[in-house]
Amino acid sequence: MNGIALREEVQDRIQDIREADILVGIPIYNNARTIGHVVKAVQVGFAKYFPDKKCVLVNSDGGSTDGTMEVIHNATIEDFQSILLHHRVRPAFKITTPYHGIPGKGSAFRTIFEIADILNVKACAVVDSDLRSITPEWIELLIKPVIEGGYDYVAPLYHRHKYDGTITNSIVYPLTRALYGKRVRQPIGGDFGFSGNLAKFYLTKDVWETDVAKYGIDIWMTTTAIANNFKVCQSFLGAKIHDPKDPGADLSAMLYQVVGAAFDLMDAYSDNWKTAAHSEPTQTFGFQYAVGLEPIAVNLDRMIDKFRLGVKELRDLWSVFLGNGIMDFLFNAEKLPKEEFHIPDEIWAEVIYCFASAAHKNLINKEHLLKSLTPLYIGRTASFVIETWDAAAEEVEAKIENLCRVFEEKKKFLIEKWDEWG
Amino acid sequence: MLKFLPDLLTSLLLLIIGIFIGLVLKKVFLRIFRAIGLDRVSERSGLIEVMRKGGIGDSASALLSKAIGWITIMIFAIISVRALGTPTIERLFERFLLYLPHAFVAAMILLFGYILSNFFGRAALIASVNAGIKVSGLIGKLVKFTVFMLAATMALEQLGIGRETVIIAFAIIFGGIVFALSLAFGLGGKDMAKGYMEKKLFKGDEKDDIEHL
Repeated sequence: MNGIALREEVQDRIQDIREADILVGIPIYNNARTIGHVVKAVQVGFAKYFPDKKCVLVNSDGGSTDGTMEVIHNATIEDFQSILLHHRVRPAFKITTPYHGIPGKGSAFRTIFEIADILNVKACAVVDSDLRSITPEWIELLIKPVIEGGYDYVAPLYHRHKYDGTITNSIVYPLTRALYGKRVRQPIGGDFGFSGNLAKFYLTKDVWETDVAKYGIDIWMTTTAIANNFKVCQSFLGAKIHDPKDPGADLSAMLYQVVGAAFDLMDAYSDNWKTAAHSEPTQTFGFQYAVGLEPIAVNLDRMIDKFRLGVKELRDLWSVFLGNGIMDFLFNAEKLPKEEFHIPDEIWAEVIYCFASAAHKNLINKEHLLKSLTPLYIGRTASFVIETWDAAAEEVEAKIENLCRVFEEKKKFLIEKWDEWG
Repeated sequence: MLKFLPDLLTSLLLLIIGIFIGLVLKKVFLRIFRAIGLDRVSERSGLIEVMRKGGIGDSASALLSKAIGWITIMIFAIISVRALGTPTIERLFERFLLYLPHAFVAAMILLFGYILSNFFGRAALIASVNAGIKVSGLIGKLVKFTVFMLAATMALEQLGIGRETVIIAFAIIFGGIVFALSLAFGLGGKDMAKGYMEKKLFKGDEKDDIEHL
């Protein structure tokens, strides 16, 4: 695979630095509001926890026009004593570069991996640019397991609102866990630590023209690490609070990219997941504590309406690959009043497995297939909201745990469907 | 009559040879297409799905090898007719031969039009369902119909049927549909549009804050 071309001034900067121990990358695009806080947290993290290491901060930009660059340039820690830092502070290097390729988070990461490779770093981390709850401790928690514990991949573990991260909770976590046998709670968390070796390994893969270049990067990084037997752990980072996403962001496109990348990985690693019989816990670092979370507004009526519309209009499309049992259930669920609306875990697991098998077989155009999952996903989310309306965080976690168990139990169903259509 | 007999025999012989070669080529190409995995490729590209929907049950290899066989037989049939040396039949065949490329292009346009109409119709249906539009089914069908109508117009033009009349008719029908829809929406949906604008501009929509990723 050919490397990407970096700008001349960036190459000069890299040549000046020559080698580094730690690199933290931030994918940025018009984040002037939050990037200052993130950059400062990373810099303090470097100074506080890795004072004797050579650290580099890389900002991989997608063409920001809102002054993000100026904010990054001006974001420096003036007074280290105020953060109770009295030892000698080695200044961190800062590189800001535009990335190349398909616009998206994955392409931004590729540039970060590339720079990590050139600088031959020992440990890397990537953090989102819209974080409001990031603290310097995140850098320690994401980097130390690599440097001191010999881990190759550090996934994040957060406390999130029960209705936050619903694609993670209802699809990606149960699916990844059932398939590859590792309980990584936030496989698409967005903030990861990884070894320099793993960054090099990522660069050997030719995936940068696919959905991995966009929202698919997170699930791709996690699955690639697990499926290739890299040493994986997770670190508790506290609460994940970030700037609200662009309200215009298309849910079906997001679902298509994330779930599409997960299904592509199923094709790539079918030998691995077919033989993984059960899941095992992942080593977790960090002191866990309860956090207050911001409330989330939910419009249940609108969600159920979208599900009903989907069943009415897309039933012909779905009947090509969803079994009669699931189709009958969906017809009945469409008629249920809001109070009784419910999509059980068993049906949901079968739906996801049927979609995965249909994508594997290319039964219909992949984009159409995955975008048609949106009304079902919204229906399932509505069902989850109804079910957990009064539930506390532990109870919600127990429900997600149960869904994961169902995904694991139904794995035989997936293998049958996969091979039957394969 | 005696002068015509050798021509007739030559012509018949050519036709028999043509049929034989056509059948052999069909079998040979069927094996080649299967060996290179053409069916797998066409299945993955979605072509087979479209063909099945269009009532064609054959595999891509079978269909293509049949076409090659038939084209060979047709070529030999033309040569055999020319061997007869009859000017009237020859002229008729010449005209038929000249028309063949147009018919082929028209058939191709129709086939691709059908594939595209299905594709865009389904894309529009899914996009409107995901946007929560109540008349998603109608939108999907309209898009499918419009794309296929466009292809049919182009195919008819290629065949030389109607020419300007077909294009004008299409423009009138299509323009009419758009005009009728805008009028219907403008008159029938003005209250709805007003309510929507008010909700958007003044009250705000009741949206979810759910963070999906």
